[in-house]
Amino acid sequence: MRRTARLLTGTALAVTAAGLAAAPAYGGEGAGRLEVYPSTVIPGDNVSVNTGACGADGAATGDASAVGAGRFALAPSAHEHDAIGQFEVPPSAQPGTYEIVARCEENGEQVTGDLVVALTATRDHTVPRGSVKTGVGGGLGADPVRTAAGVAALAVAAAGGTWLLHRRARGEGI
Amino acid sequence: MRRIGNSAIAAVTLLALGSGTWLLHGAAGTPAPPPQPSAAQAATGTDRPGAAAPALPPSPPDRVRIPSIRVNAPLMGLGLTKSGSLDVPPADRKNLAGWYEAGTTPGERGTAIVAGHVDNAEGPAVFYDLGALKKGSSVEVDRRDGTVAEFTVDAVEVYEAKNFPDEKVYGAAARPELRVITCGGGYSRATGYRGNVVVFAHLTGSR
Repeated sequence: MRRTARLLTGTALAVTAAGLAAAPAYGGEGAGRLEVYPSTVIPGDNVSVNTGACGADGAATGDASAVGAGRFALAPSAHEHDAIGQFEVPPSAQPGTYEIVARCEENGEQVTGDLVVALTATRDHTVPRGSVKTGVGGGLGADPVRTAAGVAALAVAAAGGTWLLHRRARGEGI
Repeated sequence: MRRIGNSAIAAVTLLALGSGTWLLHGAAGTPAPPPQPSAAQAATGTDRPGAAAPALPPSPPDRVRIPSIRVNAPLMGLGLTKSGSLDVPPADRKNLAGWYEAGTTPGERGTAIVAGHVDNAEGPAVFYDLGALKKGSSVEVDRRDGTVAEFTVDAVEVYEAKNFPDEKVYGAAARPELRVITCGGGYSRATGYRGNVVVFAHLTGSR
């Protein structure tokens, strides 16, 4: 299961590296993960990592020596009590996938996340184009479906009323 | 037997009358269309606003707040549709906005993009009042690194979908900028909203 998850993560990262580079990378599951942002960088970029694994107000020590950035500190923050840290990818870093590690100071838990170093920037190359479909007119009221339903209901009422009146006129007793 | 039939028809008639009245009355009690920006809020080209605050390191955003129009909404990541336009959050979540995840994060140097619905089938949604925003208003973005990026509005424009200025809205910027986009520009039942309201803002501080 874990192996599958790992494989899937690897595949996802490959896809990420190919184009869309900004989705956070997760190593492991749930609270025991280290979020790496951006997950794909070029040498010289700044990377921000955070984790909820250290509990409220828990600090951690990060290790990015795999990519040549050495150790760094993760400090507790107001953001969902995550421990947050930053490091700079050295300009000399080689392309590849690197494991970034953080160890909580209090509970000793270790979390990891993957960082992909690419040769050239892939971010910002694809920008959206055209307008955005952000409304259907519901804020204007007068929903045509609702209007149609109302008209249909009144038609039913009219038919029923007419029928009843006819019976009454014929003395069929209401 | 006949009496039961009559009672049933009478009941159905009354029910249909009641629900029909309610449906049509509800539909007629329409709120006004969403506010649209006035010409005074457009970029003039001459008013180069004060210098931007220094760019922040990249960090994904979690929440957007626009106090002057009472917006306080979580942000989800957005991608692109097959046609290359910006995708949108699910329409049934009326207080949810999104940001373009493959692009610049708000506060970082470049153009960050936030979008949300003006309405959905039920009524007004998160950015219903976006067109009422004024130059100089503030837009705040909570970021995952714990910082709050503070933007100031430079202009509020409305563009037709068929003549959308991609470069102006989505193009790269040398300073940290933000766009907030929703639907607008008039509405027709056949084609929906004719375009978009776009808010242009730049970073003026952080905390």
